[in-house]
Amino acid sequence: MTVLVVAGALLALGLLDGALAGFRSSLGRTGAVDHRARDRVAARRGLGLMAALLLPVAVLAAGHALAPGDWPAAAYVRAGTGLLAVYLPYAAVVLAALAAYVVLGWRWGYLASALILGPFTLVRPLVATAGVLLGAVRAGDAVVVAGCLLALAAVLAVEPLSGRLWWDTRRQGVRPTASAAQRQ
Amino acid sequence: MRADAVEITDLLWDVAADGVRRPVRRSAVVDRLRATGQHGAARIVARMPATDDVLDPDAVDALGVRVHCELTRLVEELQFPRRVAATLAPVLDRLRAAGPGPVRVVDLGCGLGYVVRSLARSGLLGPDVELVGVDLNPVLVAEAERLRRDEDLACRFVHGDALAPGVAVERPGRTVVVSSGVLHHLSTEELTALVRAQAGLGVAGWAHWDIAPCLWSTLGAWVFHRARMREPVSRHDGVLSARRAHPAPVLLAAARDGAPGYRHAVLEGPRWHPRAIDVVRPLVGTRP
Repeated sequence: MTVLVVAGALLALGLLDGALAGFRSSLGRTGAVDHRARDRVAARRGLGLMAALLLPVAVLAAGHALAPGDWPAAAYVRAGTGLLAVYLPYAAVVLAALAAYVVLGWRWGYLASALILGPFTLVRPLVATAGVLLGAVRAGDAVVVAGCLLALAAVLAVEPLSGRLWWDTRRQGVRPTASAAQRQ
Repeated sequence: MRADAVEITDLLWDVAADGVRRPVRRSAVVDRLRATGQHGAARIVARMPATDDVLDPDAVDALGVRVHCELTRLVEELQFPRRVAATLAPVLDRLRAAGPGPVRVVDLGCGLGYVVRSLARSGLLGPDVELVGVDLNPVLVAEAERLRRDEDLACRFVHGDALAPGVAVERPGRTVVVSSGVLHHLSTEELTALVRAQAGLGVAGWAHWDIAPCLWSTLGAWVFHRARMREPVSRHDGVLSARRAHPAPVLLAAARDGAPGYRHAVLEGPRWHPRAIDVVRPLVGTRP
């Protein structure tokens, strides 16, 4: 497997994760029934934010490639395949559950959410960390390990950062409509 | 934690019988929570803003709205509107067959009214069904009404006691009362009183959804509140909700005691083979 294929697959997974993290960060903020337009905006913002957060990884890898001496492409491939070994099955299960949630009837949608989407969201930081640990162990190169850690930081930061930047009603000073009027 | 543990949100508002809101002392809430061994909950309240030991009412109201906004996400994932529609369908069919005119569905303790608004938007119950949400908390009702206006939905929200005469039930024989996540807030005596009040009005039926207490629902509540909720209050109260929910025999005993003339059932699978879909299930009562 070439470096480009591995990097492309990881980038695609990272951006997908960013979009889903952005989507999650906007949920449960307004109480609205129809939040599809807001969901789309949130997913786009999450994707963009993830791209920005992954930029240091790209800069590090580019700097590594341009530095004098041999570029350890094999170390990148070993680390990348380690990450993919953990992330691809996780992503496949999540995407299958999302498809079930959207396409199948409400009972199956509920089960997809209760049995997969909720628990998988909870363990996402652990899965991200496990992938990076496996990649770091396989890499055998300090700079590649540093890149893995930067990517992990991006994955862990994207959802809370998206929430803080765009959706946190406390930071936006939102107050309940009736607060003053109804209190006597 | 003791059996008489309470949810934080049960202690943050104190409204007198005449509707006037009374100040809530932060130290009193903290002491109450510590007394039942809820030290984590006490720490959450101790960090809430207060002036001269009185909890800041604006901050409490804003917190209440945020917690209920988070709850709507859970209500959506639990498919509550679909559950309500599926359970009420035969009841509504029977009422339509009994005579012409609209049928009213009253959501007792509606909070931000997500179930009512969602049903209004989807039209799942049919065009002849009036949807009314009622809650004791005026802030939540006002927010529900604002959301209804924003989304231009055919439903309405009322502040008050849903079962008080003239508040929401006008034609009892064509009214069905529903709720979601209310029953675990009530003691067994209050459960009986709730059922008795409905029967006293003579409503056609009711369906009150609540968590089925078992290891899986407690674990599920913990997972979902950790994964989905941001407010510490939501996380605390959500898990406690599952732990203090009433088992089916308690619900049925209260229902039979409160409304002996009605047929009652808790629509859930057998205890030896709990079904994931039944993590929330309704106590249903219908007039014969």
